[in-house]
Amino acid sequence: MITAERKPFAEIKAAVAPYGKILVVGCGTCVAECAAGGEKETALLASQLRLDARNEARTIDIKEVTLDRQCIYEFIDQLFPLVDQYDAILSLGCGAGVQAMAEVLPKIHIVPALNTTSISETMEQGVWREDCRGCGDCKLDRFADICPITRCAKGLFNGPCGGSKEGHCEVDPDVPCAWHLIITRMEETGRLESMSEIEPPADWARTQGKGPRKIVREDQKTP
Amino acid sequence: MSDLNQSDSTVAVFFCRQLDPEQDTNRRPLEKELGPKVRFFPLPCSGRIEALHFLKALETGARKVYLVACPEGACRYGQGNVRARKRLDFAKALIREIGMADDCFELVLAKSPGPISIDEVARALLT
Repeated sequence: MITAERKPFAEIKAAVAPYGKILVVGCGTCVAECAAGGEKETALLASQLRLDARNEARTIDIKEVTLDRQCIYEFIDQLFPLVDQYDAILSLGCGAGVQAMAEVLPKIHIVPALNTTSISETMEQGVWREDCRGCGDCKLDRFADICPITRCAKGLFNGPCGGSKEGHCEVDPDVPCAWHLIITRMEETGRLESMSEIEPPADWARTQGKGPRKIVREDQKTP
Repeated sequence: MSDLNQSDSTVAVFFCRQLDPEQDTNRRPLEKELGPKVRFFPLPCSGRIEALHFLKALETGARKVYLVACPEGACRYGQGNVRARKRLDFAKALIREIGMADDCFELVLAKSPGPISIDEVARALLT
């Protein structure tokens, strides 16, 4: 899932300062799972904004609503009856959610309240770890299902670097060495011999220098 | 108590219902005495509290919000009061962000695992 963290309140407050009527919009999918932008977090931010305005004797009109998904136009359509009543939308969606809303609602300022960070897995309640950089050329099969681009601090395709200590990374000793994990898992799944092959450099042209990547599926499109 | 009667303060008291099985009866006298100046919110376990409860209590007029939980190690459900403390800390961080003092939220651990009278606990807090 996409993970995100809420921006500091001061930054959000400054961004919405010019507006008196604010629609705070959460997203019930990825950012809800990582406790950054779901219904609960949307209500918390709205409450903070109201309390802050009250403390400063300012009048502010805030309504909160959480869409199932901010990155799909059909869900954003639910905001049509509300948008005209507000000066700005404060979005607790990921970067895709903010931009999708901007696409659908061209006449209102969408202010992001989150910093989108990564594609992550939920390791335990309250802990999310980045697993994937979305490079567009997945080689997990070659690396025992552990991505060295994301989980090795040096992004090595042909590791280990030799600097790890007791299975932990020399860059951050709190993090397990990705190559230690790769080799252990290769051994456990009987594929250790394949590690003798040299992995060629990644083809970064797939992800960089061409603007936004786009997937078009004719079979999925409506006529 | 007299202090509270003379002020406009409103106090919200969230509390674990396991502490006082008779809470529905026990809290009535104080509610009658102080009217809207005190509001009780029984929870099935203090671990059910959310940061939003604290903020909403402030938004709706409370000046002070208490959470009364079981003593450490005495939660019927194991970790409820531990979780409650974490939620309280999170709520405090949120109001510090908006420049408010965080002492308007307070966790009170009961002296015994119960049964106690929530009325007595609340009276002790309010005097």
